[in-house]
Amino acid sequence: MSSAAKTAFERLAMKLNTIIRLTDEELRSISSLPLIIRELRPDQDIVREGDRPTQCCLIIEGLAYRYKIVGEGRRQIFSYHISGDTPDMQSLHLERMDHNVGTLIATKVAFIPHHDVRILTAKQPRVLAALWRDGLIDAAIFREWMVGMGRRTALTRIAHLICELYTRYAAVRLNDGQSIPHHLRQTDIGDSLGLSTVHVNRVIQKLKTSKLVAINGKALTILDWSKLKEVAEFDANYLHLREMAA
Amino acid sequence: MKYLNLQPVQVCGYPDSEGQLVFADEDLVAVLVHLSEDFGDDAGDWYIEAAFGPSLTDPLNPMFHSLDEAVRWIDRKIQKQ
Repeated sequence: MSSAAKTAFERLAMKLNTIIRLTDEELRSISSLPLIIRELRPDQDIVREGDRPTQCCLIIEGLAYRYKIVGEGRRQIFSYHISGDTPDMQSLHLERMDHNVGTLIATKVAFIPHHDVRILTAKQPRVLAALWRDGLIDAAIFREWMVGMGRRTALTRIAHLICELYTRYAAVRLNDGQSIPHHLRQTDIGDSLGLSTVHVNRVIQKLKTSKLVAINGKALTILDWSKLKEVAEFDANYLHLREMAA
Repeated sequence: MKYLNLQPVQVCGYPDSEGQLVFADEDLVAVLVHLSEDFGDDAGDWYIEAAFGPSLTDPLNPMFHSLDEAVRWIDRKIQKQ
């Protein structure tokens, strides 16, 4: 097996492990899935609205996001996907894509044919349960974002997004202490949370001057987790992680 | 035909505190804020912080490179009303 494929399975196993504890046999059967590995550029679509995919993608490294374009070219981002995530697993059962999945930065992905995922999940009911559970958690994340956009202030929304990303990175051991990779541009944050870039800029300045977070190049460091959680009204329950990492 | 007039104003709470109230005749239609150097690439731009009235509702946060450009944009919208 190539080292890229090995990494892909390790990342997938790490992610699924946050959801359910898989047996060695289950992990072995996952590792028998055929993969096509591709390195994608930043801002490249992986799958588009209207497509009828016959494969789903696994993020090996990098950052992907789901989004939709509405009138006048405005973009709404629904979710971010880090290493180990399978952002278009829904295409296994919902044939026609109702949104786009794209890369935010250079991203390495593995494509897995639907056919092989179906065979695997037919043989391994706990793997099927893990993927189902992942889909339910996905829905829980959307609910939380909906509450944010409808009823939370800009400060709370942005702090909440940071808490969510930190918790998800930490759950798959991709944090470096209190730091996580930081690739979101202010326009991305604005398009995720229904805010203007001007407002995003102001809130980020406030989070920095209040010494809740520090941003250094491509790293975001949480300086005061308990205060940030309080500002964010963040309760990680909706992520339904098996072992809370944060 | 409505005539726009501008009134400079200090905006509280942000580093970008220089602003303009924009009136169409007697009616307040917009609050513009001049973005400070804290805004990186957008520094110096004028941002529609708030807009009022049917023709300016939901301006989708347009930013303008100059005050003139912002005022011309508002004027076009108002005259269509």
